Amino acid sequence: MTVLEQTKAPVPRPANRRRPSPLGSKWTPYLFLAPAALFILVFQAVPLAQEIYLSFTRTTLLNPTRSTWVGFDNYVRIFSDETFHKTLLTTFIYVVACVVGAVGSGLVIALLLNSGFRGRGVARALITVPWAAPGIAVALIATWMLNSQYGIVNRFLNAIGLGVPGGSILDSPRYALPAILVTTIWQLFPFTSVVLLSALQAVPQDLTEAAKVDGAGRWWTFRAVTWQVIKPAVGLLALLMTIWSLRRFELIWLMTKGGPVGATETLVIDLYSQAFDSKELGRAAAIGMVGVIISFIVITGSRLVARAAEKGDV
Amino acid sequence: MRGLRIGLTARILAVLVVLGLAVFPLYWMVVTALTSNADLFGEDAQLLPDFSEFGVFVDALAEGKAGGWLLNSLLIAVGTTILSVGLGIPLGYALSRFSFRGKAVMTLVLLFTQMLPEALMVVPLFSLFRRFELLDSLIGLVLVNSAFVLPIVALILKGAIDGIPRELEEAARVDGARPFKVLTRVNVPLIAPSIAATAVIAFFHAWNEYVFAVTFIFTPSKQPASVGIANFIGELGTPIQTIMAVAFMFTLPAVAFYLFAQKYVVAGMTAGAVKG
Repeated sequence: MTVLEQTKAPVPRPANRRRPSPLGSKWTPYLFLAPAALFILVFQAVPLAQEIYLSFTRTTLLNPTRSTWVGFDNYVRIFSDETFHKTLLTTFIYVVACVVGAVGSGLVIALLLNSGFRGRGVARALITVPWAAPGIAVALIATWMLNSQYGIVNRFLNAIGLGVPGGSILDSPRYALPAILVTTIWQLFPFTSVVLLSALQAVPQDLTEAAKVDGAGRWWTFRAVTWQVIKPAVGLLALLMTIWSLRRFELIWLMTKGGPVGATETLVIDLYSQAFDSKELGRAAAIGMVGVIISFIVITGSRLVARAAEKGDV
Repeated sequence: MRGLRIGLTARILAVLVVLGLAVFPLYWMVVTALTSNADLFGEDAQLLPDFSEFGVFVDALAEGKAGGWLLNSLLIAVGTTILSVGLGIPLGYALSRFSFRGKAVMTLVLLFTQMLPEALMVVPLFSLFRRFELLDSLIGLVLVNSAFVLPIVALILKGAIDGIPRELEEAARVDGARPFKVLTRVNVPLIAPSIAATAVIAFFHAWNEYVFAVTFIFTPSKQPASVGIANFIGELGTPIQTIMAVAFMFTLPAVAFYLFAQKYVVAGMTAGAVKG
């Protein structure tokens, strides 16, 4: 986020406007960014605008070119629908658990890997494996590992006497969401630990040493020195994990399709099934916009907090 | 002293447990592919692969459609990499080196695109693609994947160019090089590691992409591997060993590439993440 606050050294103005400046004319930057901007306009901005429009209409997938303007009707309907309240709650639980789980496990593992030991480089490379694995493959292997009869997870749980009654974890309204959470966090922790590991390397060793000499306990040293240095990285990761988890689709869709009985239905899953199963494009768009607005509030809010914190520190 | 040693042992054990958890699912993919039916559905789980079953990988490529899927994925990924990095370099350069009207807005737009779910955009993009006859074509997927990965590519490259001293450009400018030439001759070679990192990110963004591919491609022979493999889930006809063999061949390039380019990707991701 700090990019936006960075002030650039002013570009030197050409002394003589007639002569072509060494930086080119004032149109030069636009020439550089025009192709990319056009791309983003066509494939992101225009579709988003259409989606916003759709959210105020009644439109079906069967006849998508005919829309009836209904104002805020879709929004009123979804917010008065109890299953949507459940979807919001599920989304909230999923996002918070992803953030806490991914950032927390990332921090623990980064602290583990931050000390010198032989083979650290290998360990550091190997923990990136889950992050590198394609989501589709992860959904597939997770589904197979959780298979009620032959899956290794159930075989293991049965062996230690903790078998799930009925056997199938992904078919259980109680265990499906935790199973998806574990899979998600398994995929995310390499990213958070690698980012936090590089943040930890910026912690000045002499400060932690000094704290130790002063007789500070480990916890105190961590809070007073380490935490202060890595705090911005933790904040940023929490933000990224929130946004990514709000839009995560394929892992959940392929493992449970939002079921059983809506136990894993997040906003994006709900939006997709409204659009393609119920064929209600307007309603789906409204659900999607709720998610986008939540992300927007989270991003803007965190930028404001970060800015306030920066001012407070100076 | 003894306490220290116990602490160290515990720490190494903890690292080993984490590593085990990190790689186990992929290991399990290989084991499942290399286990005979009798063992797979037997009373006890087989924890080690049976290499005499290796033929499953050969068969999966030879008989099935997996070879074609992987080829389609490769074409989409290469196209996406070229297009998004090609557009991302000049965009990153403009954001790093020039001050111009709309710059703050452009940076904000790049950040906000990160929160748009593919599943939301798939409906309007479908009608857009129908109009431009891009449905059921790999080119359409290259275009849309490039648009989705372009913001992160541009932000990472902007960060990389920020790190290059401006003085290096001055010399070239004094020699009368036009801005575009300054970019290609001076900056591009210097940010080569970041370009490599963004290329890996773009390649695997497209390699892994599922939602657009499953919605926009109708002809089975044009399917990429992500769609082909996803269709295995919940399907009963194909032996699980074949499924896992195909999934592993789909996963291995991604993992191998990340391990190989890990240093640059991580540096690029963290720079992009920390700054972006």
